This record gives sequence, structure tokens and C-alpha cells, in this order.
Amino acid sequence: MIQKAKYLILLLFAVMLTTSCNKWLELKPQDGIIRQNFWKTKEDVKAVVVGIYSSMLGNLSQTLFTWGEIRGDMVTSTLKTSTDQLNIMNDNITSSNSVTSWANVYQIINYCNTVIAFAPQVLNTDKTFTQTALNGYLAEAYGIRALMYFYLMRTFGEVPLQLTATSSDASIKMLPKSSQTDVYNQIVSDLTFAENNAVLTYNDNNQDKGRITKYTVNAIQADVYLWMEKYTDCITACDKVINSGKFGLIEGKRDDGSFNTQWFNTVFYTGNSNESIFEFQFDNQKTNPFYSFLINSSTNQFVGSSFVMDEFYTVDPIDDKNKDIRADLGSIRASDGLIWKYAGASNSDPKAVRNSTSSYAHWFVYRYADILLMKAEALACTSQGQAALDLVKVIRNRANALQATEKAPDPTSAVDVCDYIMDERAREFAFEGKRWFDILRNAKRNNYAHLQYLLDIITKIAPPALQQSMVSKYSDVRSHYLPINLYELQTDSKLIQNPFYQ
Amino acid sequence: MKCISNLNRFIGLLISLLILAGIWGCKKESLVYQTTTDVNMTSYLDKYPETFSEFRKILDITGNASFLNAYGTYTLFAPTNDAINAYLKGLGKTSVDQVDVNVLKDMVRFHLLSDTIRSNQFTDGKLPSLTMYGQYLITQAKNVGGVTKIVVNRQANIVQADISVGNGIIHAIDQVLIPAKYSVAQLIENNPKYSIFTQALKETGLYDTLNILPANNPNQNRKFLTALAESDSVLNAAGFSSYAALKARLCTTGNPKDPTDSLFLFMAYHIITDAKYLADIASSQSQVTLAPLEVLTTTLTGTTILLNDITFMGVHEPGAPIDRAGSDNSAANGVMHSLLSHIVLKIRKPVRVDWDVADFPEIRKMTSIFRKSTTTVAWDESAGFPLSTITWQVTKMVFGPTYSWSSASSITNYALYSDILILPIGGPNRPAWFEFQTPLIVRGKYKVWVGYRNQKQSSGSTNVNQCLVDGVPLSKLLEFTVPRPTGGDAELEAQGWKQYTANTSGYWGARLLGVIDIQTTSTHIFRIQNISGSQNNNNLDLIQFIPINDDQVYPRFNPDGTLVPRP
Repeated sequence: MIQKAKYLILLLFAVMLTTSCNKWLELKPQDGIIRQNFWKTKEDVKAVVVGIYSSMLGNLSQTLFTWGEIRGDMVTSTLKTSTDQLNIMNDNITSSNSVTSWANVYQIINYCNTVIAFAPQVLNTDKTFTQTALNGYLAEAYGIRALMYFYLMRTFGEVPLQLTATSSDASIKMLPKSSQTDVYNQIVSDLTFAENNAVLTYNDNNQDKGRITKYTVNAIQADVYLWMEKYTDCITACDKVINSGKFGLIEGKRDDGSFNTQWFNTVFYTGNSNESIFEFQFDNQKTNPFYSFLINSSTNQFVGSSFVMDEFYTVDPIDDKNKDIRADLGSIRASDGLIWKYAGASNSDPKAVRNSTSSYAHWFVYRYADILLMKAEALACTSQGQAALDLVKVIRNRANALQATEKAPDPTSAVDVCDYIMDERAREFAFEGKRWFDILRNAKRNNYAHLQYLLDIITKIAPPALQQSMVSKYSDVRSHYLPINLYELQTDSKLIQNPFYQ
Repeated sequence: MKCISNLNRFIGLLISLLILAGIWGCKKESLVYQTTTDVNMTSYLDKYPETFSEFRKILDITGNASFLNAYGTYTLFAPTNDAINAYLKGLGKTSVDQVDVNVLKDMVRFHLLSDTIRSNQFTDGKLPSLTMYGQYLITQAKNVGGVTKIVVNRQANIVQADISVGNGIIHAIDQVLIPAKYSVAQLIENNPKYSIFTQALKETGLYDTLNILPANNPNQNRKFLTALAESDSVLNAAGFSSYAALKARLCTTGNPKDPTDSLFLFMAYHIITDAKYLADIASSQSQVTLAPLEVLTTTLTGTTILLNDITFMGVHEPGAPIDRAGSDNSAANGVMHSLLSHIVLKIRKPVRVDWDVADFPEIRKMTSIFRKSTTTVAWDESAGFPLSTITWQVTKMVFGPTYSWSSASSITNYALYSDILILPIGGPNRPAWFEFQTPLIVRGKYKVWVGYRNQKQSSGSTNVNQCLVDGVPLSKLLEFTVPRPTGGDAELEAQGWKQYTANTSGYWGARLLGVIDIQTTSTHIFRIQNISGSQNNNNLDLIQFIPINDDQVYPRFNPDGTLVPRP
């Protein structure tokens, strides 16, 4: 008997062991929601759309700052700048450079694709959900997707167009790159849908500045058309924003010569001003990534370059009260180059720096000033130089730009007027992630007719030992776009590296 | 029973086996164990015979194959098969076996560095290490028809860069690299444009200095030299139509070989020590020449490198540009560059330098603060040393200099321009040293005075510092906590003190730190090194370099900067 019992126990043990590798698969997770149970009500749709915006509050603004600024002439390195970042600044760029990772942008694109794919089916389950409401949400997804592809197109040149939701392992696809024209066409068609369906207002100022409205779409359109040198379309898009009458510049210098002391506070410290069109809505519960990246003096990786004060803003050597409000304690702290737009808590006290819990300066995607200057650039390129200069004057007067930075370009010369606009854009949008794209757009216009503009800037910023190499590399226009990251090349066999980096 | 027992035993065995199988069944066995799968250089070349078989053959002939397959840190510029074939064609041979083995050995050495250099370390100039052949390789990026390629030694394009192998880095190149044949002297001589310069080199004997190959040079510091040659047209433009004219103007002793002769010095002033390509010249502010203690200062404006572009006593002396296209010519023992205009050795008399330390480029830009506002400005190293002329030791606490101006404050009111630089000095939390870049000081002997406003942070504070100029210590110590003693001018001067402000307050005083022999006419480094004591309130105002034979006490300074002459 004992023997039998022994065998029985052994047998039982054996059976348990041999079968222990299998698990009874419970298909549904016990602690989460699956897609089939979601997408039922209009609240679900809203939750996901809001989720897209909150996903943009991660490290995206740091990526956009890096892509938009560090190849330009307005930031410089610190002791904490990483090797990868320095290699980008010195134009020693390889595909293993972490700055070339586009993962967080495509993540947002995928959220947009998910909304586009699954939101329409809610119409069947929630009878209170209207087609108009659906289209409004879809417009937000299309608008953000277009904006993300626009950043990718300007940074990488050609990118794969992922237009369907990656919602399961089975839907992972290998995609080849699409041409710039295809990406552009997709952006334009996304924006057309968004423009036709986006709301004019959410009846809440913070939402109007933090979510896609029709005016945000118009702003993106203007930028895209300007990039693709479709100037009449750009002017049309700008005019839609201007004629809406809903935006205006926050006054800086008043007509009586006094300054509006609240200008910095309104536009940059608090944000969502009347001048704002679209901003990333950081707040004290969700701070931006800039505290350790740009503000904290023991970790910051970039500060403003010496050119910002020396060349762009300059100072009045006679009357120190006469200053450009965007200069010292506007965009930058002149004493050490700290990027004041994100670090500053006051426009009069250089010691009032944001701390880690108050580092919630918004990321400014589009401001009304941008609309005016984009329109000016389009006007300059369509033989309306004087009208363009008038718009520049508006921006300069608001900020009290100094005499030393005033130029009188020949209104009939598009190149001269555009160069002047570029300087003004540098002053107005310092550190807003636009400088490199501005330089590139100005250089590549008319089939790179003005490449020298870019090369002069490179000559200025290159370390002496690398100057000639950098100028030669930038003379090869294929080097203006970043390489595809090595990880993407290894995981997507259909991707081909951009030619300069092959 | 026995049968059953056997059966039982069989079943037992079977079950035991089953259990064993069950225990192991879940594991996967990896059968390959290696520390690394990276191949070394020779094996890498073996893997791609269609590209590297010819170079691989050369390695066999020269006997390098096995050593390049051993561990180490190398950089190899590997010529492709096309490159080797072109090279053979140039030599009139059809296979690598026909080439002299010594030629091949030199060739391999010239393509090999015992260092790992990735392409992101390439600059416009030479690679950081020598090749095994003993000459430097240079790199550049070159744009031809809109396409930019990396060019090595002006001879070969990089086909594929940064191939990582177990013992280093391989860069594949499309031409064989040929070492420079000529010395610097021969390079200049071979070019008929430099006939006057060549003759002057020969007459002064410097031709021989520039003609020794590094391997034969007994002087370690002159193995590599760089010549800045002036072409005949440059010399003509400067008024020298022939060597005779140059000699007539410059040769003072009658013997150009005499190292004190002006012609010799003039020529020696055109030779820089070390192999300096333009990238190296542009990266440093001054170059040591063979003319004893004379330096060339360099400035990069735009893409132009200017020599001796300086402002002296308020007068701008425009510099001589280097001809980029005619420069960076590699020689076996250095580099040869071409100048676009004439440079001369200037004889300057020592001149007094009153250096207001609280006046530097960064504070000058802050027009609302500089000499105007009582707001103080402090700098710390967070921005990667934001000041171009001042550096200090990085401590755990973030500390740097503070600029302070006030015409009312008792700390600054009588200072020169009523402003001072406050230096927190002393370990462990404050920087143990500060370094300042001086203005241009002409070669000569000077007494060094430091003017400060004495202050003690607390009643027991001390702060004792040694000062150094270019690393040479000055004999007396600088104590920021000690007030100036009282006494007449002559009496004070004898004690090494003086009153440098117009105001007679004993808080203000200048301390004589000693006599320094400034060796070169250039900017120098003034260092304050803490010896004992630690406090924040070290109020530095003025540093003076006064030629030893000049009046040391006067002129004094009013707070508005005007001078008080000797009564």
C-alpha cells in the first residue's frame, strides 16, 4: 500500500511538472480595459483625444527644442551637454546618435491614428454622439498628426508615413520612406479635413490655446505652405487668422514710450495670452522637462549663445533704459545666457528663477507674432516687399527693437527682405524651437539659391578646428536632414538610410 | 511477486525519468559560448575579399597580418582593391608581389595608427596621433558638385567610415595614401614663387633647420616645424624686390647666420614649432616661433586666419591673413603655409598696464549694470564658464566672481570707477584659485601691484594667497584682509605698499607682489592661489604691471577713472 501511495504521489508530481509549462490562457486582462470594451461612448472618445494632448507633455518639447535649436546659432553647449548633442552641433552626425530618435513623435502619431481608426464606430453604440462632434474630435487628431509629420519632414526630409493604428502585434508593418512630396500631400489633406471640421472655440480660453482649433490649423497650414514655397496659400491661411479678430499682440512698449511691465508675465510666464494660438499646457501638476534640461544650473545642457545679445538684440550703449523687451530678462539672462523664456519668473529680477515645481512655462508652438512674420515672409517672396517690411515694423515697435538692429533692405529684393525677417524671427521666437528650421527654409528657397545664408551662420558658430569641414559638409544639402536612427533601421528592413549618411 | 516488483521498479524508473525530463524540459540550452563575436582587423579583411583582398595580400607580404589580428587599439585606413590596383598601375607593376617589400612596409605603416580614432574626431587638420610611419595624416571634408566627402591626406576619399572591429577602427579609402617626400625646406625651395624666401633661409642657415627629417633630428622639440612662407610678390609689395634688398634693410650685424641678427630673427619669426595645420593655428591664440621669446598671435575672423591682428595702446594694427588655398602643405618634417602679406618683428618698449579687473567683455555688455547700477552680478560655472577671460576652480558649492558697483557704498566708493570684483576664495567650499587673462603685456621687466579694498568677512577672517604669472610665483603674498599701513609715499613704497586711489583711506591699498620678467609680448595668465584662510569678501580692484624703471606710485586714480599725476 505504502509503495502504491508512493507511486501515486510520484505520478501526480510528474503529471504536474510536465504540464506546468502550459498556462491556461486568460485572454482578457484582469486589471485593465481592452479595446473591445472601450470605444463605446462619446466620453471614451474625448478621453483618448485628451490623452493625445497629455502625451505631448512628455519629452516632446525637449525633442522639438533640440531639433529646432541646436544646429542653429542661438544656443551653445555647457559642461553638461552630452556627446551626442555636441556631435550634432559639430555636424559629426551618425545614425547611432540618440538625438535622431523619432520614437516619441511617432508615438503621438499612433495615438492620432488610433482615434481616427476607432472613434467613428462609437456612432453605432452611443446615440447621443453626433457626426459633428465626431468630426471635431477627428479634426484634432488629424491636426496633431499633420503637425507631427511636419516636424518630421523638416528634420529628416523623408519619413515613413504611418497612417493606420498600430493596435496589435499583427498590425505592425514594415514601412518604406515616403517622398517629401507624399508626406507634404498627406499633411495638406490632413489639414484640409481638420480645417473643415475643427471647432472655432471650446468656450474656455485654456482649451482654446491648448487644443486644436480652426485657427491652429490655419497657423500650421501657413507654416507648411511657407516651407513648400506656396506663398499665396500661406498668405490666405495667415489672413484667416488675422481676420478672425480673435488674436492680437500683447502690448510691450506703449505709444507714450512707457513699457508694459506685465508683458513677460502675460505672454511667457503665465501663457495662453491673447497672442497665443497653440501652446503645450504645462502646469504645476505636469511640469515641463526644462528644469533639468535648461534651467537648473548644475544640470542644464544648453544656454543662449553670445550671439543672442551681441548680434540679435544688442544693447544701447548710451541709454540702458532703452532696451528690447525680448532681450535681457525677456528671452535670455544676459549675464550668463540662461534661457529666460523658460527659466524666468520675472522680467525685472535676474534672481527670480523658476524652481523644479514651478517649471511649467508652456511650449509655444504658434503665436500671433508668428502669423504676422510668416505672412511678411510670404509677401516678400511675392514681390510685396514694402507690405512685408510694414509687418516687421509692427513686431519691432511692439518689442522696442533697438536702432542698431534696424536695417533698410531694398523692398524689391526678396532675399534681403527675407534675411531681415529671419533676424526679426530670431529675436521674436528665440529658443522656441524655430531657429534651425528658419535658417534651413531661408537657405533652401528657390532650390537652394541662398545656401550661402546657412554657410555664413555655420562659419560663425563652428569651432575653429572644424570650421572648414563643417562648411563643406553643410554645402552638401543632403546633410541638412538628420539620419534615420540605427534602431529604426534595424527594426524596419524597408527603411533606407538618408543618402548623406549611407 | 518478483515480476510485480520488477514491473514496479520499471514504472518507478519511468516516472523518475519523466520527472527529470519535466524539470529540464522548461529550460533552453544555449550551446554557443563566446566572450565576443567581433573579429579583428585581418579577419575582417578576410571576410570581404571582394573589397580588401589586395591589401590583405600586402599584409601577408609585410608580415603584419598576424599582428593586426591580435588584440590592440589601432586605426587602419584600408585601401580598397581598386585603390591598390591604381597604385600598382602608377608604379608600372601588375601585382603586389612585384613591389619592393620595404616600400610596402612603409605603405602599411603610413596607413596605421596605434590609437582608435573615429570619424567624429576628424578635424580640418591633423589626426591627434602620428602614423606608425612617423608622419601626421590630415583630414578634411570636401564638397565637389554638391556632394561632400571626407578626404584623408588630400589623397583619398573615405568610402566607409568607422568600421568597428575587435582591435580598433577601420576606415575604407579609395586611394593609397602616399607619405610626403620633401622636407619643409625642400617644399619651399621647389616652388619658384618663394625664391627670395628660399635664399634668405639658406643665407641664415635656417634652411638646414627645416631640412632635417624627424628621425634624424637630435632636438626633440624641433622634430616637426611649420613654416609661414612669404612669396616673392608679398615681399615685393612690402618693398623688397630681391634678397639683397631684404638683407640691406634687415641685416644689422653683417652676418645673417648670427642668431641676434635682425634678418635671422625675421626669418626665425616665420617658423613655428611643431606641425601646425591651419586648424591648429586657428584653435590657439598664439604660436611659439623660433625667434627667441617672440610669439605670433592668431585671430579667426570669418574663415580668415589673421596673424598679429592686435590692438596696442588703443591703436588697431591690422593682421596678416594666411592664404588658405596655398597652405596646409604637408612635408616629411612639418607643414608649410603661405602668407598673403608681410609680417615683421616689432620692437616694443615695456609699457605700463593698469588693468581694471572689474572690466571685462561680459560685464561691458550689460550696459544697465556696468558702472551704473548697484545691482550685483554673480557668475557661476553652470553655463560652462560664462566668462571668456576668467576661470576658477569648480567646487561643490556653486561660486564664482561677483561684480559690484556703487559710488555710495563704503566698499566700492573710492575704487577705480567705483567698481570691484568680489572673489570668494579658500577651500573647501570656495574656489582655491582664480585665473585671469591679462591684457597684452610687452616683453620686459615689471613690478606687479594689486590694488584692493580690504575687508574681513568676520573678525577672525584671514585670506592669504600666492599670485603667479604664467605659473611663475611672485615673491610676496596677497592678503585681502590686511589694510594698508600708514606712512609717507616713499616709506610705504619701501615696505611694498602704496596708496593707489586719490582718497587716503587706509582701506584702500596696493600691495607690491614682486618683479616679473614677462617673456613674450602677448596676453598672460594671472593666477591667485589660496594658501590659507577662506572668505567671500576679497575685493579685487586693480592689477598693475609697471616697468621697473617707471614711477611706481603715481599716477593715482580718482573714482571716475581720471588720473592724479605726481604733484
